[in-house]
Amino acid sequence: MSSPLLSVANITKTFPGGVVALDEVSMDFHPGEFTVILGENGAGKSTLVKIMYGIYTPDKGSIILKGREVEIKSSLDAIKKGIVMVSQIPQLVDRLTVVENISLSLTRIGMFETMTRVRRFFKEVSEKIGIKVNPDAKVWSLTYTQKQLIEITRAILLDAMVLILDEALTYLPMEERRKFYVYLNEFKEKGRSVILITHKIPEALEIADKIYVLRRGKLVGALDKASANIDKIRDLMFGEAAKTITYERFTKPYETPIGDIVLNIRNLVVEGDYGEIAVNNVSLSVRAGEIIGIAGVVGNGQRELLEAIVGLRRVREGRVIIDNHDVTNKGVKLTRESGVGFIPDQPLRYAVSADNNIVENVAALFSRKNFVVNWKSMRELSEKLINEYGIYPPRPEMHVKLLSGGNIMKTVVSRELEYASKALVAYNPTRGLDEATSTFVRRKMKEKAVNSKLAVLFASEDLDEVLQLSDSLYVMNRGVLYGPFDPVSTPRSKIEELMVV
Amino acid sequence: MIPQLDYIIDKILPAFVTFYLVSLGHSIFEKSGILNLAIDGVFFTGTGAALLGAILPIIYNIPISPPVMGVLVATLIAAILGLFMSSVLTFLPISHGAVGLSLQFFSYGVGIMLGYYVRLAYGTIYGVSFAREDVLYLSIISLVIGVVLHLFIERTKIGAAIRAVGENPHSAAALGVRVMAIRIVAGMLGFALIGFGGALFILSWQRSWDVKLFTLGYGWLAFATALAAGRHPIVLIPVSLLFGGLVNSQTDLQSRLGIPADVAKLIPFLAALALMLIYSTTRLRRIFASPSSLGKPYYKEEKSI
Amino acid sequence: MRIVLVRRKKPLKYGGLVVALLSLLSGIFVFTIFAWLIGVNPYPVVETIVTTFIFPGVVKDFIILTLLGYALLIAFKGALWNIGAEGQMHMAFLVSIYITLIVFFTTEKSLPLYISIGVILLSIVAAVAAGALWGGLAGVIKAYAGVDEVPVTLILNYIAYFIGDILVYGPFRGKYVYGYARTDLIPDPYKLSIPVQRQLSGNALIDTVTGYMAEFATYAVWLVALILVLIFTYWLLNKSNIGLRIKILGSNPDYLVSLGYDVRKTMVLTFMLSGAIAGLTAALYYHGSLYRIEYPLEYNTASYGYLAILVAWLSMLDVYLVPLSAYIVSAVILGSQRVSSLPSVREAFTRLQLGGAEMAFKLLMFGSILLAYSILRFIQDYELKVVS
Ligand SMILES: Nc1ncnc2c1ncn2[C@@H]1O[C@H](COP(=O)(O)OP(=O)(O)OP(=O)(O)O)[C@@H](O)[C@H]1O
Ligand SMILES: [Mg+2]
Repeated sequence: MSSPLLSVANITKTFPGGVVALDEVSMDFHPGEFTVILGENGAGKSTLVKIMYGIYTPDKGSIILKGREVEIKSSLDAIKKGIVMVSQIPQLVDRLTVVENISLSLTRIGMFETMTRVRRFFKEVSEKIGIKVNPDAKVWSLTYTQKQLIEITRAILLDAMVLILDEALTYLPMEERRKFYVYLNEFKEKGRSVILITHKIPEALEIADKIYVLRRGKLVGALDKASANIDKIRDLMFGEAAKTITYERFTKPYETPIGDIVLNIRNLVVEGDYGEIAVNNVSLSVRAGEIIGIAGVVGNGQRELLEAIVGLRRVREGRVIIDNHDVTNKGVKLTRESGVGFIPDQPLRYAVSADNNIVENVAALFSRKNFVVNWKSMRELSEKLINEYGIYPPRPEMHVKLLSGGNIMKTVVSRELEYASKALVAYNPTRGLDEATSTFVRRKMKEKAVNSKLAVLFASEDLDEVLQLSDSLYVMNRGVLYGPFDPVSTPRSKIEELMVV
Repeated sequence: MIPQLDYIIDKILPAFVTFYLVSLGHSIFEKSGILNLAIDGVFFTGTGAALLGAILPIIYNIPISPPVMGVLVATLIAAILGLFMSSVLTFLPISHGAVGLSLQFFSYGVGIMLGYYVRLAYGTIYGVSFAREDVLYLSIISLVIGVVLHLFIERTKIGAAIRAVGENPHSAAALGVRVMAIRIVAGMLGFALIGFGGALFILSWQRSWDVKLFTLGYGWLAFATALAAGRHPIVLIPVSLLFGGLVNSQTDLQSRLGIPADVAKLIPFLAALALMLIYSTTRLRRIFASPSSLGKPYYKEEKSI
Repeated sequence: MRIVLVRRKKPLKYGGLVVALLSLLSGIFVFTIFAWLIGVNPYPVVETIVTTFIFPGVVKDFIILTLLGYALLIAFKGALWNIGAEGQMHMAFLVSIYITLIVFFTTEKSLPLYISIGVILLSIVAAVAAGALWGGLAGVIKAYAGVDEVPVTLILNYIAYFIGDILVYGPFRGKYVYGYARTDLIPDPYKLSIPVQRQLSGNALIDTVTGYMAEFATYAVWLVALILVLIFTYWLLNKSNIGLRIKILGSNPDYLVSLGYDVRKTMVLTFMLSGAIAGLTAALYYHGSLYRIEYPLEYNTASYGYLAILVAWLSMLDVYLVPLSAYIVSAVILGSQRVSSLPSVREAFTRLQLGGAEMAFKLLMFGSILLAYSILRFIQDYELKVVS
């Protein structure tokens, strides 16, 4: 067997507050191999790759590149050594254009050079892997997934030896994903190494040459293709909780009669950030106890539609009626007060206050009417959510920004689900969550819909999720809504086709 | 010569170059994300250093024109302050405001130490100041500096890097920007320009220097100028012209409009406020918005969302 | 080998206080070395600085700066960089002056207590309102026009100064001022300070203690206000919904939006609260120590409004550390004033041919001590580590 291209040995990293994110972790990454790192939310995956990419300094341990111990001082240093990472949370500068962002990474672009060459490079690569983004668009106008696509393009342009993908592929649209896998295979053939972090275990199994499993900062398993199987891995990752994971439809035992219309959307027309029509004459209604899913590739107006429904975006034409009250263009306050929970796109940006702790984040929603916050009950509520959703580390005083990506998502999802009393409007409700937690959240959504007569409208870029959860589903493409379809009887291929034509 | 031209050369242009350079320097400095509350102090240090520098060629018989030497010394000393401030605030996660204000007081002291001796020993500084017409060249030079800087900031990679570290140093670092190096470049360049402006303040505009100068708050006025123009090097041109004109023609305004001195003093400030209000209603608002990380302590291992 | 900065796993024990003192001492140390280098005898310098920290004269500045520090703390928590405490104070001065010197002016040496108290209360309430409105104006401009609050508050300071200048030159000019451009003195019945007689014993320790007691007694009302403001600020930021909103505003206004709060109103409210405390401070200062205002106005407040910015930032926005940093700033100001008039400083400056510029020494001292102090405070939460 070849010698590893890159290894980490006995890496330990402790964070303030005494969280041991990594405990004596060692891994080898071989040339021509596809390595997958798995682990539940907060296991330490991102921390490990951030160390390899020069963002964090390990407390202890070493990094060995091509047989020589190296020190990675900064991300620039990593890039120069051939290590490139696509971050879990896109690390792009919002007020710069796409090409400006890319130029910052390219050492072959001179400091005093203009963007002409970068634009050309970008176009070449984006055509190759089929990414359609305007190179001169400002990054703030892009969606989460589009930002990840930009980061992937950047990684390819950097021509890395080791490519690290931290949950970067999960939501890639089908077409891009296929093209990208082709590219990754070429990349591997050239004797390079890919490190992938994902929560999609079946997919991981398909492509991985080697799998490492982290749990609470410790390496608990190193498997190669032959010895890996899904149950074994889930068992390593989650222990007991592995048994709860399912992708079966939640039909029985939740089959119940459906109630009155709660969300009523009539002929909605909504503009996007650039004044283009993002939502084109969309009508739909959601009844109490019903779950409606919207499938679609990113950037087809789902985000704008949901934002318009909760009042975050101006409606140009049409009506939004919640619980028989016309709330069109009346603001978020009204929808929130009428009991609507909302999980936005980019929840980490829009749905948490990172410098505040969990209790304060919870209180901001639940104590909106109290002049003096009842901190005791807010604390109890936070503890309840922490326990129920397994937020780790389980400390209500933890500043949200110190949690792992998935755990931040858990605070958002748990809070909004708890708050929703009439309706829940959600975009990618399980983005970044591990399998056990995702299953839990979906089950919870279903339970709440049925037991509390909640009307649930969600859009997801993950078709499996839409199929698993929806009572009936729509497809959104270029601002137009197609459907409804029955998730059981409609062939999957038909839906996929509608998503891309 | 036509009287208007005299007025422009004697009154408007010297004030314009001073304001333009100081506010340009401030804009570049802050674009890199470091809050500059030391501006008035650095400006004053620039005046003192210029005074000292302008005397050096005379004392040591250096074959350089005294005011040019004054400008060189002022920019150099100001750049050193810039190096200090931007590197400390990038290396350590500490309060920009506290460091900036303390540095302001400190550099008032430095300014006095530099300028006072010359002032005592030489009294008048007409002899070492720029000639009257030089202000034309100085204006052209500063306009060129401004335009070139604008192009660099908006078009080139280094400009993108400066904006990136001002917007989000964490993302910038992850993209591969040397946050420290970029902030030092912007910091030294910015302060050097402020020092330049300080030098012209006394060598071309006032042609006199006094210890009490630092209580007059010209640096703060330039601060308001910079922000009234959204830290935009091109927009700064008309705005500095306006401010320079307003400040310098206060006495004229007073007599011409028959208003009290204090009302006349109010005018530049009201104008700044009015300008900011006007562009806030337009699409410029987004372009002129402050850098998102302005004044935020930077710690590399911080998790950024 | 290189040096990296990492956050401490556990904060230092007693970190706040110990690190504050250590940073202060290092600042003093560095400055003393500098003084020694330019030929100033270091002993009297150190002695004067250190004794200023136990010098009763600090009390007045301390109380005012603490109050203003809280005013700014509230705005800063919301990431609203209110540098306009000066302007907010001046608008408050003007209404207090209007009430005490125009509407309820009296030449009596004493009035019935209820009238005195009534007028003082009225003046305070009006001053609070004026400060809140002037702060709120900045808030409105920031929130509804989206103009950066730093230049806005700075400009509003100057506008307040000049409005005051115009008034003091005109309608507010006193009748008993011999041609000076200033207002009359506040009538005796409206004074808030309590005159204290004190005998010096000659023993330094006893005199210091009685000195403090006398100062505290003189400014007893201020002290009560300080305690109330401290409690209020604590309560506001840690218990109330408004405080929670302010803190979230400071961290992520987008979250407030998606919760359905009105971000703009929150901004205006925050500015009003901040300005209200500045207004309160102004009224107390006017009734308790200033007694009149003079032309030009910016010299009336001894730059309290700007120094308070330092106080708030040096406290690292910690409610408990505001009094500490206010005390340090007051002591360092007073200390540097006293040091710069030491004979040894004057001699050294004369030797350097800088006689008459001792002010530079004061500024350098004040600046460098606070600079060291603000820089070294990082030790509390971070440590430097050498990695190889
Ligand atoms: N900068 C930081 N400061 C403090 N704690 C941190 C920091 N970064 C990560 N942690 C903690 O380290 C642990 C591991 O986090 P990490 O982001 O590596 O998890 P992860 O495996 O990537 O999880 P996820 O699947 O949710 O992304 C978490 O408990 C997190 O709270
Ligand atoms: Mg992660």
